[in-house]
Amino acid sequence: MIRSCRERGLRTVAVHSEIDADALHTRLADEAICIGPADPTRSYLHIPAIIAAAEITGADAVHPGYGFLSENPEFAETCAQCGLEFIGPLPEQMRQWGDKVSARALARSLGLPTIEGTELVEDIEDAIKKAEALGFPVLLKASGGGGGRGMHILQSKEELRAIFQTARAESRVAFGSDALYFEKYIDRPRHIEFQILGDKHGNVHVLGERECSIQRRHQKILEEAPSVALSDELRRDMSATIRRAMGEAGYLSAGTLEFLLDDRGELTFLEMNPRIQVEHPVTELVMGIDLVGEQIRIADGQRLELPEHLSPRGHAIECRINAEDPVTFVPSPGTITELHMAGGAGVRVDSGVYGGGRVPPHYDPLIAKLIVHAPTRAQAIAKMRRALSETLIEGILTNIPLHQRILEHPAFEEGRFSTRFLDDLQAERLLTAPVRH
Amino acid sequence: MKLDFEQLRELIRLLDESNLTEIEVERGNDRIRVRRDPAPVVSAVALPSVEASGTTQSGGTPAVEDDSNYVTSPFVGTFYRASSPESEAFVQEGDSIAPGQVLCIVEAMKLMNEIESEVSGTIVEILVESGKPVEYGDRLFRIETN
Repeated sequence: MIRSCRERGLRTVAVHSEIDADALHTRLADEAICIGPADPTRSYLHIPAIIAAAEITGADAVHPGYGFLSENPEFAETCAQCGLEFIGPLPEQMRQWGDKVSARALARSLGLPTIEGTELVEDIEDAIKKAEALGFPVLLKASGGGGGRGMHILQSKEELRAIFQTARAESRVAFGSDALYFEKYIDRPRHIEFQILGDKHGNVHVLGERECSIQRRHQKILEEAPSVALSDELRRDMSATIRRAMGEAGYLSAGTLEFLLDDRGELTFLEMNPRIQVEHPVTELVMGIDLVGEQIRIADGQRLELPEHLSPRGHAIECRINAEDPVTFVPSPGTITELHMAGGAGVRVDSGVYGGGRVPPHYDPLIAKLIVHAPTRAQAIAKMRRALSETLIEGILTNIPLHQRILEHPAFEEGRFSTRFLDDLQAERLLTAPVRH
Repeated sequence: MKLDFEQLRELIRLLDESNLTEIEVERGNDRIRVRRDPAPVVSAVALPSVEASGTTQSGGTPAVEDDSNYVTSPFVGTFYRASSPESEAFVQEGDSIAPGQVLCIVEAMKLMNEIESEVSGTIVEILVESGKPVEYGDRLFRIETN
């Protein structure tokens, strides 16, 4: 963000908590303002502190990044009320897409293929009727749940009978309501997401897809663009469908529509993230676009000036470098004693750390993104292997060895994987095998 | 421990309906505590000044001069020595101060937050000019406690 601003001659202010006083962004920005203690609820999530920082520095606009307040409609509204341009969608759009249930309904009404589901179930007999109509396997979900909680995968009505009352009780205790419903369960899906940009003049562009199936506990760790699972035709058709739908919705700024791809090659809408995402660099590289730069232009009222049909050029892969044990995933905060990031042709590093810098324990373990771009997927994999082996981060543990194992796995090389890939890897006990260099 | 769901619901309801932040119930060997996480508050209230000592910050912070002889800002905003341009300053150098006494205002988002002293003492030095912006943690006054 700071880089895109500087290239446009815009001055920047970095807000930080006390523990982040030496963080990289505070050193790159023109000004830095301490907004509170390490506890995010009193700093990064504290709306008045952020607004006050904008006031005293005379800032005109705010970019919320990802995480923290980036999907908080109240924050976007407060910015607007205080005369600050919020670089992102409209508060109403954040609300609509932020609520999963209303998002699915909205997506369906806009003509996007959505996952089949039922209404709330009344009792066990009603549940069996609904589940059979939908077709097993089904996912029994708590209406009040979220984030992967309160879900049961059921293969048959016998399993449903056995678990129904327990599921109801669990839901009541955990979420305060026993409202349950069913969704079609897709076993071993691929996670495919499409990047969009919308300007203030009603133009919406779709900038291709990303494959984000390599996940651990619903957290992405490796992403690529384009996806080998999509034919040119499917990409073109889906892009056109999304463009029409989001144009109708009048969507503003950057956003990502997430889909599941099943083994029949059908895409179904999962959710929409009304913000820029961590993995945006792979799209930037294959599309030759600065997405954050475009967000700034859009906020400034300028028109998107993109070609009618955008095709990806080459292949990009991103590895999220986390400060954690590569086997146990236990966080590894501390001081970075040695740092050498990879370089060379087709290598990009978006990092939040520097040699001698500290990784505090209070926040997300993501410390850097290593991204490569090459003419083919095979070359991108080779380049990423090379870049990972060149990367030196000492003083803390990182998940680089995990990335190396992923990139060596035949299933990954061949593009044969689903969101279960890392679970399967764990099962194969490859995580404890030595890595070839 | 046996969890009686109805009793738990009752505790949660009690917490919700009151101003309490925490309720703890003990019966025999069983104990349950229900706590509300503090939510961020925006209001024009008088707050005690933050007198953070460098050593109580999260581990790993490089050693800084002890903050206990300073009044530091608990807000980001604009520092004012008086409640209005025409009013007298709340305190001058050399003044004695008592707990609860208003020392200054830090204004943010049109809200005037009065900063109160937590201690008895004397104002030794005023470190910020009226009308200047301050960050969270900035030193406003050097004080001597009694």
